[in-house]
Amino acid sequence: MIDFTMVAQIFWTGTATSSYYVLFTIAFALVLKVVGLWNFAQAGFMGIAFYAMFFAFNVLHIPVWAGLAFGFAFTIFFTGLVEVLCLRTLRKRRSSSLTFFIFTLILSEFIAYLLMLFFGTEPVTLFPSILSPVRIVADIAVSDWDLVALSSTGALSLALWVFLRFHREGQFLTAVADNGPLAELYGISAKRAYLVAMTIASVFVCAGMYLFGTRAGVIPTTPLELMLFAVIATLLGGIGRIFSAALAAIVIGLVQSFSILVIASAWQNLVLYGFLFFTILVFPRGFRLPGLRRVRGADLAPKPTAESA
Amino acid sequence: MQYVYSLLVLIGIYVTLSASFNLIIGNGGLISIAHPIFFALGAYTAALLGIHFNVPVLVSIVAGMLVALGSSFALSLPSLRISGDYLLIISIGFQLGFLQVIKNIDFTGGAGGLGNIPSVLSGETRDIVFASGSLLMALGVVLLIRWIVRSPYGRAITAMRDDELAFVTLGRNAMKIKLVIFALGSGFAGLAGGVYAYYFLYLSPDQFEILQSATILTMVVVGGMGSTLGPVVGGVLLLALPQAITFLQLPPNVMGPLQGVIYTLLVLIFLFVRPQGLISAARRQT
Repeated sequence: MIDFTMVAQIFWTGTATSSYYVLFTIAFALVLKVVGLWNFAQAGFMGIAFYAMFFAFNVLHIPVWAGLAFGFAFTIFFTGLVEVLCLRTLRKRRSSSLTFFIFTLILSEFIAYLLMLFFGTEPVTLFPSILSPVRIVADIAVSDWDLVALSSTGALSLALWVFLRFHREGQFLTAVADNGPLAELYGISAKRAYLVAMTIASVFVCAGMYLFGTRAGVIPTTPLELMLFAVIATLLGGIGRIFSAALAAIVIGLVQSFSILVIASAWQNLVLYGFLFFTILVFPRGFRLPGLRRVRGADLAPKPTAESA
Repeated sequence: MQYVYSLLVLIGIYVTLSASFNLIIGNGGLISIAHPIFFALGAYTAALLGIHFNVPVLVSIVAGMLVALGSSFALSLPSLRISGDYLLIISIGFQLGFLQVIKNIDFTGGAGGLGNIPSVLSGETRDIVFASGSLLMALGVVLLIRWIVRSPYGRAITAMRDDELAFVTLGRNAMKIKLVIFALGSGFAGLAGGVYAYYFLYLSPDQFEILQSATILTMVVVGGMGSTLGPVVGGVLLLALPQAITFLQLPPNVMGPLQGVIYTLLVLIFLFVRPQGLISAARRQT
């Protein structure tokens, strides 16, 4: 028997759960837009972020803020290292897209195996208890976790939008995404833009893994499945449209949550793979609402000044 | 002695897998990681036909190959219709999705695995037959791929991989070639799967996870992508390497990840130090 309260509860919980999917999707879509890289290494970065925080909280026993800072710093450092030492080398060699694909995917797997060696294959959460205090609002159970997840995801997304829209460095990212060689002619460093994009992505990845790790158990191969979600949402949202991809992540998350009404939970993941086929078959260029014009990156790119010209 | 025979069977199977994967990724330039799922399809089809319908072994193995070959279209048709890049993404979903199905239905034994596969022959004869059969299969597949690659059709494959736009402009059908390469490679993986099922008599979904993708990719990259002999060398080398680790007698929960670390680290090292692999494709062609 399905009633309104049940539907509303699934909607609320589904929206809250999709928060970390949104963060992973934004990270993936941003790197794809700016760097032009299908960054499958993101799964590895997600693993590093989670286990760095796990180590901080459960081995070092440091306060939450310090553990978070440790996780963010470690992930950003590692991501930067990969960008500077590996991806730049491959770009310098003009490596094929096949090489980039192999590198990013295998790096992810390498990290997963290393994490298995150090932390085992048993599911672990960031804190011993993942129970969160719950209050009832209009017959709907609202947990503290839901509020933290939604507010932090909203704040981070808004901050990114403001950064890309109004900050000079953010506008550089858009310029490089639109036309790298032309942007470089105007004095914008593509290398720097790539590094900034990867750094921002690692912040989103780390925040997402914190939310996920305080809600569910993680094994070293979990990030790969989580990343697949981000890939599907990026495709559905349309390559190059970061916030449309984030919206797509919420839609897919909600569909997955509502699927519990019609299919057994063991088959719930299949909804995701169904979405993948559906997206590639029906919306290979992403879903667009008719009449909506995308703000072109060129409009956001900094206008050439007398000095740069 | 049985240990040596098992190793020979595995060498035959993995050389078949790496050579067929090389046809797809090295010769065809098609990026997919779902090769293990076609290996699984062949293995499960052959095993289920043997268990439930008492189909003769050779017929079951051929049926497994055909199922893998046919299923490849479900993956390649929707993705290649749009762009080659989509093949990679859809292949990840295809592999994980199919494994999810295998794990959740009783017919395939579920997550616990599929046993009771009828054993053909017994004793040392069984080992000798399977070892020689497996090596012959590998030899046949490698020679067939070599013949394809060196034929006019193979030159068309290379031309398509190197410059698809020019290839299409000349009036050739790139899509058709991609579908054929992908189907052939997947069919060979299915064939190897059938042999695997009837030799080891037990199948588990875990054997066809992403680790397998990494293993096969490592064999191709380390051996030399695009060269016929490369995956053979890569396959033999990377099967021999873990045998050295087994002598360390590490617990299984360390062995598995350690093998994974070695495989993936090798790929990363080769990507930067010797991207052409042990056997360069260009050198072979001269």
